[in-house]
Amino acid sequence: MSLKRFYLIGFIALIAFDTLSQVCFKLAAIHAEPFAIEFDWLLRVVGAPWVYGAAVGYVGAFVTWMTLLRHAPIGPAFAASHLEVIGVMVISVPVFGEYLSAQQIFGAALIIAGVVCLAFGETSDAHVQH
Amino acid sequence: MNSALVLSIWVLNTLLDSGGQLAFKAAAIEPGDADGLARWRHMLARPWIWVGIVCFVGEFVVWLAFLSLIPLAEGVLLGMFSIVAVMLGGRVWFYEHFTRPRLIGIGLIIVGVVVVGIS
Repeated sequence: MSLKRFYLIGFIALIAFDTLSQVCFKLAAIHAEPFAIEFDWLLRVVGAPWVYGAAVGYVGAFVTWMTLLRHAPIGPAFAASHLEVIGVMVISVPVFGEYLSAQQIFGAALIIAGVVCLAFGETSDAHVQH
Repeated sequence: MNSALVLSIWVLNTLLDSGGQLAFKAAAIEPGDADGLARWRHMLARPWIWVGIVCFVGEFVVWLAFLSLIPLAEGVLLGMFSIVAVMLGGRVWFYEHFTRPRLIGIGLIIVGVVVVGIS
């Protein structure tokens, strides 16, 4: 497998695991409704399967992350580790019937641009240090 | 929806998320020349790694509470502010530098979170 392909598959897997975690978190939150700051709410959370799905997603993301870091530079890897926000936005519309306003999409674009900027900043920093 | 409650939970989530990251960083750079198992033993005997673990366990619950109150996509977007908090903490605590791309990135994320937050 070429290195380029290895990165691509790795980053897609990372985003998929992180997205899975967040979707499971939301499902856990929905199933534990109504929300209240009390012990019974916490019991409803751990009594449904979703919170364990979130944990599986975390473990998968962790293993993928450590595998990627063996070869990938930290900057782009850092960016990819936060780009699950794209996967979450795409999935939350059909799965949870959420609606994103033009203003929210504009804000999301700024945040994603910021993350990409940080990623490239880290890369050039790493070159200086070596 | 109670927006004061949402804001409080968001602040708490940001503090726990960035606090956990910074505590793990503090644990990882503890002085000592031990390697492997001995290094882990040293870290586990000091408070920082435990502070980090407590932060992340707390964040797990707080994040669930946050997502109970607002839509998922909006929650994840607002949660991105933790990146900024970690970089600010890194500057204050570990004297990490703000390079130009970092400043631009931080600025974009802050403006983006505000734009999503006030919508």
